[in-house]
Amino acid sequence: MIGFVSSLQPLGELVLVNACLAFSQYVVLRAGVFSLATAGFASLGAYGAAILAARHGVPMPLALVGAGLIGAVAGLVLSVPLSRLRGVYQAIATLAFVQIVLSLALYLEPVTGGAMGMNGLPRLIGGWELILVFGVIFYAMLALSRAGIGSTFDAIRQEETVAVSLGIRVVDYHRLAFALSGALGGLGGGLMALRNYSLVPEDFGFPLLIAVLTFVVLGGRVSPVGPVVGAAVLTLLPEIARPLADYRLLVNGVLMVLVIIYWPHGIVDTIRLHLRQRRHAVSQAAP
Amino acid sequence: MTLVFQQILNGFVVGGTYALFALGFTLIFGVLHVLNLAHGAVFMWGAFVGLFTVTSLGLPLYVAFIAAMLAAGLISVLVDLVAFRPLRARGSPEFAAIISSIGVAQILMSLAQIASQTQVYRFPFGTFPIVFYNVLGLRISLQQIVIVASVVVLVALLLGILFATSFGRQIRAVAISERTAALLGISVSNIHGLTFFISGALAGAAGVIIGIAFNSVHFLMGEPYLLRGFVVIILGGLGSITGALAGGLIFGMVQTLSIAFLSSALSDAILFGMMFLILLVRPSGLFGALHRQVRVVRQ
Repeated sequence: MIGFVSSLQPLGELVLVNACLAFSQYVVLRAGVFSLATAGFASLGAYGAAILAARHGVPMPLALVGAGLIGAVAGLVLSVPLSRLRGVYQAIATLAFVQIVLSLALYLEPVTGGAMGMNGLPRLIGGWELILVFGVIFYAMLALSRAGIGSTFDAIRQEETVAVSLGIRVVDYHRLAFALSGALGGLGGGLMALRNYSLVPEDFGFPLLIAVLTFVVLGGRVSPVGPVVGAAVLTLLPEIARPLADYRLLVNGVLMVLVIIYWPHGIVDTIRLHLRQRRHAVSQAAP
Repeated sequence: MTLVFQQILNGFVVGGTYALFALGFTLIFGVLHVLNLAHGAVFMWGAFVGLFTVTSLGLPLYVAFIAAMLAAGLISVLVDLVAFRPLRARGSPEFAAIISSIGVAQILMSLAQIASQTQVYRFPFGTFPIVFYNVLGLRISLQQIVIVASVVVLVALLLGILFATSFGRQIRAVAISERTAALLGISVSNIHGLTFFISGALAGAAGVIIGIAFNSVHFLMGEPYLLRGFVVIILGGLGSITGALAGGLIFGMVQTLSIAFLSSALSDAILFGMMFLILLVRPSGLFGALHRQVRVVRQ
């Protein structure tokens, strides 16, 4: 029993780290911003945390805060030009950001170690710290969702023109979404760096970008539970169904196509919608 | 100084291939107004089909080239059927189209990984005669000449189809307005299929050319080209044919020059930085004003 639980622990930790990255993608998508910059933010946060903790001996909590701050600043800076773009153009511009960060991480060898990356990093984060960080983020997301910001984000995503007519300053909220996404992405990257012993630029390329996007598409883009469910399902699925592990890419692809065609709101939001409709139907039938 | 000219020449050849790849990419955006992120995977399959026609079937290279174009065209039509048509029927937004095409790209890549057992393949030695010419002190290989010639022929063919045939007229009509085209009796779904076929065939041709030029074919080769394809079509303007051509050439030159005189890691940073700037300053691309055949939508 104990052996089984201890074998699950690294997997559980991976789910939590992935969920943090998924939150970074979730925040922007909920606000109707088509940003794919999470992988870039994670890269900045990871290198930031690793350099702070390993080279300058900064204590772990401060290094994490630093990673989040670096991400948030990057998000804010990026939002200044990008809140002017929409849709495909925003997506492509953030893709460019991810590629620029990746190639700079390869180029700036004295700082980042280049293609070899950074090795022999101290492992400063264990299960309990991860649960604590995740709990704080999840609570913040729930609170954000219940406060007016969540519904403002929903309004902007569903119909920007209406949102403007309601007096919502769309650009401000887009900036907020970018900054939050940057902070969460940086934090997620920091968690990766302080847990993985090593760090290479390729960890934060196109594959990570797609993985994080898949978490949110599968889980759902409105409820904060969605990204957690998406990250958990996609991280655990190849482990539970061992024969599928070799076909991970295939399963991911098939899931993505099926979900976006048949359940375009994602697992959690589709179920919530369904429950709400049923409650509505019941309350109509009762009197 | 000769070195600079030599690099410009090499960049011109590389750029032609990028243009070929990007033409199919931009064509789909111009007609359907969606980004097809499976284009890189179609390109990769084109390279594999070309390779297997040469190695397993032992057929000459020009047969392999045509086989790759046909096969990649059909795969591209399949991508449309699986990823885009169900969404179009429901009128889903661009976000869904991007997600489902990423999904199909992953399926295609995974199938190629299984089929190739994650190996890197090469065209057999002597598939293409290695001959060099000296022109005005510049070294030009026969391979480069054939690459440029085939790019020119294919581009001429594409322009011919688009601007001198009834099909082309229908494609342009659908690009301008699907509704009006349908009212005029054009079968919009057939035109979408045709557009995907042309786009895939161009990608397949580019796949074989790249496979021979760099002598390596593997299941991950589509991804970097997809990412660079973005730069090319943004430089030229999303949906613009002339833009994709010019963007490809500019891209090829900047890339070879920056790799030759700076470093290869920095080259990517420069190229993607260039794209980022263009998106901020002029999202309709450098050649946005020159083309009238396709619409650029800024949503």
